[in-house]
Amino acid sequence: MLERLTPLEGQLELPQSRAVATGLERYLDLVRILSSRTLKTRYRGSILGVYWSLSNPLLMTGIYSAIFGTAFSSYYGNSVLRYVLATFTGLAVLNIFSNTTSQALPSVVDNGGLLNKVRLPVSVFPLSIVASNAFQFAVGTLPVLCLIAAFGSRSLLNVLCVVFPALSLLLVTAGFSYIASALYVFFRDLPYMYELVLFVMWITSPIFYPIEIVPVRVRPFLSLNPLVPIISSLRQIALTHNTPDLILIGWSLLTGIVTLAIGLAVFHALRKEFMDLL
Amino acid sequence: MNAVELRGVTLQRRTQEELTYDLKRLIFHSLTNRYRKPKRRTVLNDVTLNIAKGEKIGIIGPNGSGKSTLLKVICGILTPSAGRVTVDGRIAPLIELGAGFDPNMSVIDNIVFYGVLLGFPEGDMRERVPSILRFAELEDHSREPLKALSSGMLARLGFGIATDVHPDILLLDEVLSVGDQSFRAKSNARMQQLWTEHSTIILVSHELEFIQNACTRALWMQDGRVALLGSAAEVTASYRNSAGVPPLLPV
Repeated sequence: MLERLTPLEGQLELPQSRAVATGLERYLDLVRILSSRTLKTRYRGSILGVYWSLSNPLLMTGIYSAIFGTAFSSYYGNSVLRYVLATFTGLAVLNIFSNTTSQALPSVVDNGGLLNKVRLPVSVFPLSIVASNAFQFAVGTLPVLCLIAAFGSRSLLNVLCVVFPALSLLLVTAGFSYIASALYVFFRDLPYMYELVLFVMWITSPIFYPIEIVPVRVRPFLSLNPLVPIISSLRQIALTHNTPDLILIGWSLLTGIVTLAIGLAVFHALRKEFMDLL
Repeated sequence: MNAVELRGVTLQRRTQEELTYDLKRLIFHSLTNRYRKPKRRTVLNDVTLNIAKGEKIGIIGPNGSGKSTLLKVICGILTPSAGRVTVDGRIAPLIELGAGFDPNMSVIDNIVFYGVLLGFPEGDMRERVPSILRFAELEDHSREPLKALSSGMLARLGFGIATDVHPDILLLDEVLSVGDQSFRAKSNARMQQLWTEHSTIILVSHELEFIQNACTRALWMQDGRVALLGSAAEVTASYRNSAGVPPLLPV
């Protein structure tokens, strides 16, 4: 306890006054430092850890191919290899989506203690989770997808265009991350429900089955899944010899932008109530 | 221009009973028509307060009277339901030591992380690392993960970073003093330095004696309202009277 204020005996070295980071600079500093913290604790300084994230889609691709590869290969030009590549591209998309959104879901609540002590822009928490996973995707999965595109399309243009569905994926993922993290503040049983949402998105994305086996009347419902246009565009770019389909690219980007806009709107509408519940 | 101006600030918050709300119950309660809108409680009620630049003001009052909530409104963590808060100058809370530390990161990373949370550019914080380590006497431990430090070392580090901040308005929730005897002298000196140097200080404390001696004015909060605002001696004296604490003997 500080007993009494007495004049200072001997001048202590004085910390220099500094400029306080403002607005955007502070926001970006926060996102960078939070996402690098996430990556550091996840990989303990080893960049190889990033490639560990590929093990899940690779393993799943192996299993699906072993079980369904032969049965479905007639839909893939009688080539099991094409089935393998189509399944991997789909799984890569779904994997990054479900990992990121599941990690973002508790991000606001987990930092509730901090939010009660320091004034922070709340949206940095889900965003920094998205940023750290985007980095992981960019150095881990994306190069593999580009290799597949080089092999599958034999065209440099197609390899470069892989970036568009990747960007759309990032936007959709960010949108869902905002919504999930905001709703979790109010509904602490959300993780169970979210498992169900993820399952629906996984089974309605034609990842391990060809879309042709789905009855025509049911197909329109599948396209409500925002990951479907992304997977379609990615497969068209990476696995066909045709030039990238601009309509598919445009459709996937539009889906991404709309999802992100909804996510941001929900987050900001609910944000006012956060502090009473954290 | 005052450093802080509060005009009729009122804050309503959802009551604690709503905190365990979950989706399952919301759906069942809506189906069975048992859903009620969450209740709200008035935590701050029409608080008007002007704090001039350079003033040291102490906030006293019983537990749950809204003292810490008032600090949170001033630094912008909570937004008032009605009324206006105007702050002129850079504001920083001297937050609870260790909030925001990550036990798995190194000491250096934690210093930078903590500083960025408090609002300083990352580059500046990297430059500040050596002097903070020196102040906390932790130069030999800079690369170790935080969990390897003793609790005393942690407190020293938290204090070293938190008091390294130089805002125009400093918010204190209880006066801090940490560490062993030798460090305590050092931390007291740093606190006194903050006191003499910072133009405006807002302090929440139950240490009436300290407030009486160190603050120019005091604010007594009671049930979310301003009960009394005046000179530190006057307010602490009447608070002691009402709380049944004998008055401080003149020194």
